[in-house]
Amino acid sequence: MGEHKEEMRDVTFRVLRFNPQVDNKPYFDDYTIPVEKGITVLRALNYIKEHVDPTVSFRAFCQAGICGSCGMRINGISKLGCTTQVWDELEKCKVPNVIKVEPLRNMPHIKDLIVDMDPMVEKMKKYSNWVESTMPESRMGEKEFLIAEEEFQEYDKATDCILCASCMSECSILRANKEYVAPAILLKSHRMNVDSRDGSHDRRMSELVKDHGVWDCTHCYRCQETCVKSIPIMDAIHGIREDAMVTRGAKDTSGARHAEAFMEDIAKKGKLVEATLPIRTNGIGWTLKNLLPMAFKMVMKRRTPPPPPFVKSSKGIKKFREEFSEMSGRVKGEQKDHKK
Amino acid sequence: MKRYAYYLSCINEAMTKEVDRSLDLWQKDLGVEFVKMHESVCCGGSNLDYVSPKHFALVNARNIAYAEKLGMDLVTSCNTCLLTIRSAKKKLDESQALRDEVNDVLRKEGLEYKGTSDVRHLLWVLVDDVGIEEIRSKVKVPLENYRIAPFYGCHILRPSTILGKDNPLEPSSLDQLIEALGGRTIAYDHKNKCCGFHTLLVAEEESLNVAAEALEEAIEFKADFIVTPCPLCHTVLDGYQSKALKNSKVKSSIPVFHLSEMVGLALGYTPRQLGIKRHIVT
Repeated sequence: MGEHKEEMRDVTFRVLRFNPQVDNKPYFDDYTIPVEKGITVLRALNYIKEHVDPTVSFRAFCQAGICGSCGMRINGISKLGCTTQVWDELEKCKVPNVIKVEPLRNMPHIKDLIVDMDPMVEKMKKYSNWVESTMPESRMGEKEFLIAEEEFQEYDKATDCILCASCMSECSILRANKEYVAPAILLKSHRMNVDSRDGSHDRRMSELVKDHGVWDCTHCYRCQETCVKSIPIMDAIHGIREDAMVTRGAKDTSGARHAEAFMEDIAKKGKLVEATLPIRTNGIGWTLKNLLPMAFKMVMKRRTPPPPPFVKSSKGIKKFREEFSEMSGRVKGEQKDHKK
Repeated sequence: MKRYAYYLSCINEAMTKEVDRSLDLWQKDLGVEFVKMHESVCCGGSNLDYVSPKHFALVNARNIAYAEKLGMDLVTSCNTCLLTIRSAKKKLDESQALRDEVNDVLRKEGLEYKGTSDVRHLLWVLVDDVGIEEIRSKVKVPLENYRIAPFYGCHILRPSTILGKDNPLEPSSLDQLIEALGGRTIAYDHKNKCCGFHTLLVAEEESLNVAAEALEEAIEFKADFIVTPCPLCHTVLDGYQSKALKNSKVKSSIPVFHLSEMVGLALGYTPRQLGIKRHIVT
């Protein structure tokens, strides 16, 4: 029976509490309860609610990592309460044996561990996160859609998303600006964009390339790293950008012009010409207004990037240019074949 | 003496020249040599991959092929170059068809991508190859009076499927190095967070908010300086610091050092030699 005892221990859950009708600001309550090895954080919270404090509020439903209701921050990281083992978290505690439980970030706080999911739903509407069928309603049911295996592979992983909003809670840019589209919405958008049954690709894209859209992602990869379903969210974000470059061209937005500048410079010198990058991205007016004060400081410290003629090309640039343009020819050829 | 093929990053060539200058000063002291690859071509800086995936593969296959020709691992001092070249390598290693196509083009200059060289960060070379104990034994001026805030930057940690050296949630390599150099690391939340660099020209306000949060926390924790293994993080945290903190409740500033400068300081080189005076915040 000694072995059995080792599998039980008292663990403290430091839970963020907040009731806007009563409290000026959030605070923490500590609940120390006996926990058996193999118990999840959600079951521990259920125990607290049943046996210690019925006022602790959180959302939960399926208890099996399917419904996405119990997204919360456990020891500082956004994840699902129902798929997180207490024993695994014990190794990550900043204060030994104390597991910190907080609500998701970047969404309006309602009470305790509950946040308002409406902004996410509103954004799903804004970016048409559903398939709008190419088939007229009158002909529905006459014929089924056949999806090629190859096409399905493109969005197979994305369909695993359960909208738990962990990625939104971790997103660096959403934290800086709540208007930002957010990773889950970009994932869904790309999943719909590449679906051959969908007819609203162009409308969706025109929304995605606007301010607070796909170009505002700062590639921190925190969404992907915390995704509870291990979905490569950044592949979807890159997918939308690649799509935007092909369908809308580089003139369209500062994000696209910025990306295109890399291609230009590499083709010419093999090196990025940083001095003119702000102008090529945002125009001369923006650059003067936003970067002039900084440029002064940088000149003083001899930190300014060299003007274009002084950017030294990479060694072997002649051969490299030939290779680069040969690849361009191949890509063009492929695109022609594809169109046929 | 262990030798490495050193990839020349655009930003270190143009703006943060002190990174390579510092490295040049002390590399032999630690028994390593970084052979500069003047053939290095811009990796695409996390942009080329969606402008043209094929050119992205070509450019980085060429970069790695030059390292392979030297029979050395490719080493970079820039996080984004690290992630970008490693992700190209992963694509190349996983697809025979892509390798064949790229090699067909690279034949023009007698090059071939084989997949024999690893792609690594300077920090990894210091911690894994030179070794913490060896570095500790070479320290001349221990950084013992300094509280140092490590700022890892995203592209040396995430995605862990491509990087994989540190646990992105609890990275430790830079902390270990700081301790080996005699400094005290501070444990603050932003050490594995983002600096906002990649949207500076597209969403400046958001980027500066991201940077401000990290700077504020390091200052609140009373760090003497921040150290980062990434020149892009440095550009934001140092160059844009006053702009980022303009509307902040925090009224002071904090110096930001490059990894190679911090090592240089502990090995006895002066701030002037290391180019630290070139920083905006000094």
